[in-house]
Amino acid sequence: MKWLYTICACVIVIAVCSMFISAANKTPIPTPLNFTVPAGWPQPVYDFKQNPLTKEGFELGRKLFYDGRLSRDGNFSCASCHQQFAAFATYDHNLSHGINNSFTRRNSPGLFNLAWQKEFMWDGGINHLDLQPLAPMTDTLEMGETIDNILTKLRADTAYKRMFAGAFGSADITTQRVTKALSQFMLMLVSANSKFDRVMRGEDSFDLPEKLGYAIFQKKCQACHTPPLFTDYSYRNTGITTDMYLNDVGRMKITRNPADSLKFKVPSLRNVQLTFPYGHDGRFYYLQDVLDHYRKAVVNSPSVDPLVRNNMPLSNFETGQLKAFMYTLTDSVFISDVRFAPPGYENRAPKAPAEHEHQYKY
Amino acid sequence: MNMKYLSATLFAVNVLLLPGTAFSQLKQNTSSGEQLNLTFNIKAGDATVVPGNTYTNPFGETYTVQKFRFYIAQILLEDSTNTSEQFFPDDYFLVDAGDTGSRTITVPISIKHLTAVSFLVGVDSVANVSGTQTGALDPANGMFWTWNTGYIMLKLDGTSPAAKVPGNAFSLHVGGYKTGENATRKIGYLIRHSQKQAVHNIVFNVDINKLFNGAYPIKIAEHPLCHQPGALAMQLADNYATMFSLGQVSK
Repeated sequence: MKWLYTICACVIVIAVCSMFISAANKTPIPTPLNFTVPAGWPQPVYDFKQNPLTKEGFELGRKLFYDGRLSRDGNFSCASCHQQFAAFATYDHNLSHGINNSFTRRNSPGLFNLAWQKEFMWDGGINHLDLQPLAPMTDTLEMGETIDNILTKLRADTAYKRMFAGAFGSADITTQRVTKALSQFMLMLVSANSKFDRVMRGEDSFDLPEKLGYAIFQKKCQACHTPPLFTDYSYRNTGITTDMYLNDVGRMKITRNPADSLKFKVPSLRNVQLTFPYGHDGRFYYLQDVLDHYRKAVVNSPSVDPLVRNNMPLSNFETGQLKAFMYTLTDSVFISDVRFAPPGYENRAPKAPAEHEHQYKY
Repeated sequence: MNMKYLSATLFAVNVLLLPGTAFSQLKQNTSSGEQLNLTFNIKAGDATVVPGNTYTNPFGETYTVQKFRFYIAQILLEDSTNTSEQFFPDDYFLVDAGDTGSRTITVPISIKHLTAVSFLVGVDSVANVSGTQTGALDPANGMFWTWNTGYIMLKLDGTSPAAKVPGNAFSLHVGGYKTGENATRKIGYLIRHSQKQAVHNIVFNVDINKLFNGAYPIKIAEHPLCHQPGALAMQLADNYATMFSLGQVSK
C-alpha cells in the first residue's frame, strides 16, 4: 500500500513539475496572417520568409505606425504624412509638415502594394522595405528622432513589451523588430479593389469616357505606368525643371551618374485622385496640370525620357477622358478598411445605419 | 509525514531536475574551447589614439579625434600545414577607439597551427541588401546611411583647424557596397611559427595617419567631408587598406 502511495506521489510530483516547466517555457505562438496576391498580379518581391506575417506582428506594426513617440517631440507619427483617406499620402500638400515647423523636401507618396516594390523613396535610395522607416524617423525635417531614443521610449512601455513578446516570442525591443513589425503593417496595405479592378474582374463596366480614356491610357501612358501596379518602378526624367530652392537632382543623388539627373521613380497611378498634388515636389496641383505638362511644357535635356521628349500630343477631349479613366483607380474599399485605421478604430468607427433608419419620418 | 514518502518525493524531484543541470553543464563546456584574441591598437604614427586628444597627420595638419570606428567581418583563420581553415562569415565586429572592450575580438579557434589570418574591413554587400540587421550591424549604432542604404565601413569624426567647415568639424564616413564603389577591403597576414605552441593573441596596429596618406594623399583641408559612396570613399578605402600592420603574435 505504501509503495502505491509513493508511486502515486511520484507521478503527481512529476506531473506538477512538468506543468511548471512547460508553463515557464511556453512562448505564445503568433497567429499566421495570410497575404493574398490579387489574381493576375505578379509575385511580390518582398521576402516573407524573413518576416512571416502574423496577426500580432501586424497589430504591433499598426500601433507603431500611428505612434507619435517615433518622433522627437511626440507629434509626428508615420500616419502624420501617410493618411489613410489619402491612400496613405499627405492630402492636399505639396510638401508635408515635419518637426519644428519644417517642411519635408519631397511630396509624400501613397503607401500601398509595397510588397511589389524593390526600392523606396523618389530616388530609390533605400533598398529594403524594412529599412525605409529609419529614414523619416531620423530625418531632422521629418520625425527628427534617433533610433536609440525610439527604442528607449518603446522599452519603457509595458503594452509594447507585451506586444513584442506576442509577435516575436520575447519582449526584446530592437531596431530589427520595430522595422519588421512596421513592414508587416505596410505589406498588408494592398490596394486592388478599385472600379478598374472590378471591371477587369468582370464585375463592373466602364462608362464611355472611362472606356475611351482607358484606350488612350493603353496607348500613351502604360509603358511607364504599367498595370496592374500602374508603375514599372523605373526612374525617368519627365522633362521637369529644377526647383532652385529644393535643388533636387533625384536619382543622380544616389548613383552620382549625370545620366540620372532629374530622374525620379515612376509613381503608381492607383488612387491618383487622392494623392494630389503630384510630382516629386508636389509642383502639379491638379491632374490636369500633369497632363498639361506632358503636352505643352516638357523641357528637353539630355536625360529626358524619349517617351515624353518634345511633348506628348493630347487633345482637350483626350485629357478629360484620361482623367475619367484615372478616377476609376480610386480604391474606396482600401481607404475605408478599418484594419488600416488607428488601433482600436474598429470599435469606435461610425456604424452604417440600420435599414429602418433610412426611412425618414416627416 | 512518513519519511519514506518524503525521501521518495525528493528523489523524484531530483530525477526531474537532474537532466536540466546536466544539460546546462554541457552548454558551458561547448563554449569553453580554445580562443583567439585579435586586438586592434589604434595609433596615430607612434602615439596611441585616445579620443579627445590631438595628433598631426603627415601633411602637418593637426586634428583632434572624436570618433574612430570601423567594422571587421569575415575573419578567416588558415592552417596551411594540414590545409584546414576556419571562417566566420556571419560574425561582424564594430571596433571603436572610444571603447576598450570593442578593440579585442575573440573567436573560438580549433585549428592547430595558425599560419594565416585575414579579415574584411567593412560589411560585405549581402548584409547591405538584406534589411535591418542586429548586433554590431544594428543601424542604431550610427554606422548606417538611412537615406541611401548602406553601412559606413569606417568613420573618423573630429576637428581640425585645417577643416574649412562649420566648427572645423571634419567627418570622413566611408561606405559603399555596389560594384565599382565597394569600400570593403581585405586584409591578410601570414603568421610565422617559431614556437610549437598554439597562437592565442594577435595584435594589429592601426595607424589613423595612413587614412590621410596611404595609397592616396588626402588632406583634411581639401577633403574635410565624405558622406557618400563614390570616388573619394574609394580612395579613403584604399588608404585604410594600408592602415593595418601585424604586431605581436603570442600564445
